[in-house]
Amino acid sequence: MKNLFAGMAGEPFPLPPGEPGRDTGDFAALLQARGLYPAAGAVLMGVPGAVGNAAHVPVQTQATTILAFKFGEGVLVAGDRRATAGNIVVYDRADKVLEIDQHSVMAIAGTPATAWEMARVLEHSFQYYRRTQLQEMSVGGKIRALSKLLRDNFGMVMQGVGVVVPLFATYDAGPNPEAKLYFYDVMGANFEVAEYAATGSGSPAVRGVLYYENTWGAKPLREYSRTEALRLVLRALDTAAEADTATGGVDRNGRIFPVIKIITAKGIETIDDETLRGLFNAGRHLPDQPVSAGVAVG
Amino acid sequence: MFEEPFRFVEAIANRREYIENQIATGSPVVALNYAGGILLLTLGRERQKIFEVYDRIALAAIGHPGDIERLRMTAIELASTEGFTRSAGDVSLRRMANYSISPALKQAFEQVYGAPYLARMLFVELGPDAGQNTFLRVDYDGAIQTNGTPFSKTRQEYAALSGTRPSAEAMERFLARDFKSGLALREALSLALDAWTVGFLALDAEGEKKDELPGSDAIRGARREQMENAAVEAAVLENRAGSNITFRTVSEEELTALRGNDAG
Repeated sequence: MKNLFAGMAGEPFPLPPGEPGRDTGDFAALLQARGLYPAAGAVLMGVPGAVGNAAHVPVQTQATTILAFKFGEGVLVAGDRRATAGNIVVYDRADKVLEIDQHSVMAIAGTPATAWEMARVLEHSFQYYRRTQLQEMSVGGKIRALSKLLRDNFGMVMQGVGVVVPLFATYDAGPNPEAKLYFYDVMGANFEVAEYAATGSGSPAVRGVLYYENTWGAKPLREYSRTEALRLVLRALDTAAEADTATGGVDRNGRIFPVIKIITAKGIETIDDETLRGLFNAGRHLPDQPVSAGVAVG
Repeated sequence: MFEEPFRFVEAIANRREYIENQIATGSPVVALNYAGGILLLTLGRERQKIFEVYDRIALAAIGHPGDIERLRMTAIELASTEGFTRSAGDVSLRRMANYSISPALKQAFEQVYGAPYLARMLFVELGPDAGQNTFLRVDYDGAIQTNGTPFSKTRQEYAALSGTRPSAEAMERFLARDFKSGLALREALSLALDAWTVGFLALDAEGEKKDELPGSDAIRGARREQMENAAVEAAVLENRAGSNITFRTVSEEELTALRGNDAG
């Protein structure tokens, strides 16, 4: 097929009025037209033989822990800071909880290169839409935009690289104002979450903690105050890190705390490390003397 | 016939006259620095005139809505793709205007068989500090006027956009006389509204009192009258904690305060 936009990248002006993205505010379409769309390579490099070949499908590349739940004020999204490659710790200050716009946060488990690029496309998509169309993209539209990015990336996933399993949290200011939380699978299916969600290698432990607290604890997560919610997040991540080497948890000595963001009607708030340090240290059982029987103390 | 030089000049002159007539009635737009950033203000009845382009760039335009839309989209596309492929810090109004928008406007203007852009635009860019804010006017023929070069020490802190040259000049003279640095938003809104009124009055005052600014009573009277006829549209570019986005529409409450302020 003839590429209608060949040669366009170098001379972005003047453009025909019907260029993709112009009428609809679709930034991904604009990038595709200019040959700048990050996932474009996935299609070109698609190896037919790889499809359906289980050996090519990554088993566990989401080595991290991210979680989110709805509480009294809105929705809280948190992620540890560790980035790993196999059994190597690559980086201990990775930011996996990314602000996409003034009310939306995407938390990522998976391949950082792909995930950060997706976040970048998404951030620009929402702003491009608002600026060109002179209205905010609906929450439904935002959820779908991330779905589409994940689906476009699936060719890469089938080749064994670039798995991303994100959480997406936002505040819907529509007729029924409400905090919204979604998780995705690698193909881009989105699932709305009523209470809590966690993904990444440390998520089984976190889900255990959240399920337990939500079902049997003093009160359901939805009724938690900010302090209670923050305390629970720190404890849940610490619990995940206890067994999962790919989860950084809380490093008090290195003063590395998880990234925690709270989304309310007013916008996004990032919790500072001092607050987290105070909450984490209070009420923690520390042994009086070195423990001998197989219990590690952080 | 256009091979002959004087015919080309004639054709261009006709075209210029045609475009000037088309945009002559455009409601003026005022842009000025205030304590928080840059304020853009106009009055209108029909359609939006002030737009966000990118994190630190805004646009006001008068002319044909179809042409304004095409230019506005182009500016947003240029800024967005640059901001995406490089970084937001690489998006620069100077580059966008000089290398993309101005050449294209000039080309469209001089190709006398094609349609020119019926638009006159004022771009503003919020700099790292008030002294480095950029006001840049791009005309339908690609001509650019800015408030300063990268190497100039002092920059003019306001700019005006209007359908006619005498109107824009009257506004600039008024601002040269009455503008002060570091105004609060409320004061800046009032000053911008006065400057708009001066420009508006000058649209009609061709001929006789061209070089004379109206007195403060005349401004106040016309201002009150026009505010009843048309809506104030105002937006600011201001630094905000925790966000790269600086564009914000001035709220209804902030404008209501202005309506009550008769002191001018």
